[in-house]
Amino acid sequence: MQTPTNMSQIFDKLNDLKDIFRFGERIVPIIQSLISFMRDVVPLLESINTSIADSTSQMPKAANQINNVTSATELATTEILDLVDDISNELVVVDGIFQKILEKRSKKDELYKKLFETLNKDSEEYKLINEIYQLDDHNGIFDDIKSKMQKINDDTYKITLSLQVQDITAQQLAAVTHLIEQVHGKLASLVNDIEHAEIKDKITDKHIVIDEHVSFDPNARYDKSEERQQTVDNIVDDQKRKASQEEIDKLFS
Amino acid sequence: MGLKFLVVDDSVTMRRIVVNSLKNLGYNDYVEANDGNDALAKLNADSSVNFVITDWNMPNMTGLELTQAIRGDASKNNLPILMVTTRGVKEDIVQALQARVNNYVVKPFTPQILKEKIDQILANL
Repeated sequence: MQTPTNMSQIFDKLNDLKDIFRFGERIVPIIQSLISFMRDVVPLLESINTSIADSTSQMPKAANQINNVTSATELATTEILDLVDDISNELVVVDGIFQKILEKRSKKDELYKKLFETLNKDSEEYKLINEIYQLDDHNGIFDDIKSKMQKINDDTYKITLSLQVQDITAQQLAAVTHLIEQVHGKLASLVNDIEHAEIKDKITDKHIVIDEHVSFDPNARYDKSEERQQTVDNIVDDQKRKASQEEIDKLFS
Repeated sequence: MGLKFLVVDDSVTMRRIVVNSLKNLGYNDYVEANDGNDALAKLNADSSVNFVITDWNMPNMTGLELTQAIRGDASKNNLPILMVTTRGVKEDIVQALQARVNNYVVKPFTPQILKEKIDQILANL
């Protein structure tokens, strides 16, 4: 026989159950919309995975192309340097010829001088030879040619110095390749964590070929301003002063 | 005795530029090396080398490691070393000086700077 207390407890439990059902009625639509959301989002996540995998698999190609650019610019720079050397060598040859011309000119001047000494200044012969001498005087032109040759030589040397840009950009490109390799590694491991055989294969098949012993300056820049070397000089002077002071201090300690 | 330079750089372009600059300054005696290891081999093979111009960033053995190796070798530790590099931050310069390079030139360099640093090093020997 049930007591009134027991009945009261049963009613309480029934009320709790009713609350649970009411809560269930409210939560079911939310769960349904969550399922619907998941249904929509899963293909999207798969698409993101595939995109990451595609991008990751493209990275070795990008790194390879950067390495090709470095090789191509080094080759082109070498060709330019060869041409500049050729021009410089030709200039040396031209300068040699020019010196011979000047030597002949000097001998010619001596002969003219001797000839003038043998002639009367008022004679027709003197005037005629002097006219020929004036026409034959190319000293101004020789000076012009000499200064033009010097300018060509200076300019070719400036071209040579400007080609330092190749080494600097090569280091910048090496830094980019290194960065791509790091991002590739991270993404590959991320995608590999997701159990997706097709994507895994796509990525693990391709590797970035990186020289383990490569060394580069990621901050390399083509800055021709004098301030940069001046800053370096100040640091060098400062450090050398410090070092000398330390040596002096050691002597007196 | 005249100067014989060892020009160390992994970039063919940079080696040619440094060599051309040396020739323009009247220094025609030089040997080349493409990294620190090659430089040490050249130094061991040719005792007439009496001035080293080295890059920092090189494969296999860097210019800094080369400097440390030279300074650690009793037979070569007084060899003048000029570092010519793209690295221009203070920490790098201090590190190079601590490794006992004699002077430091930042790329891109001018022939005047190269001459000035070579002359400074020779004056302080």
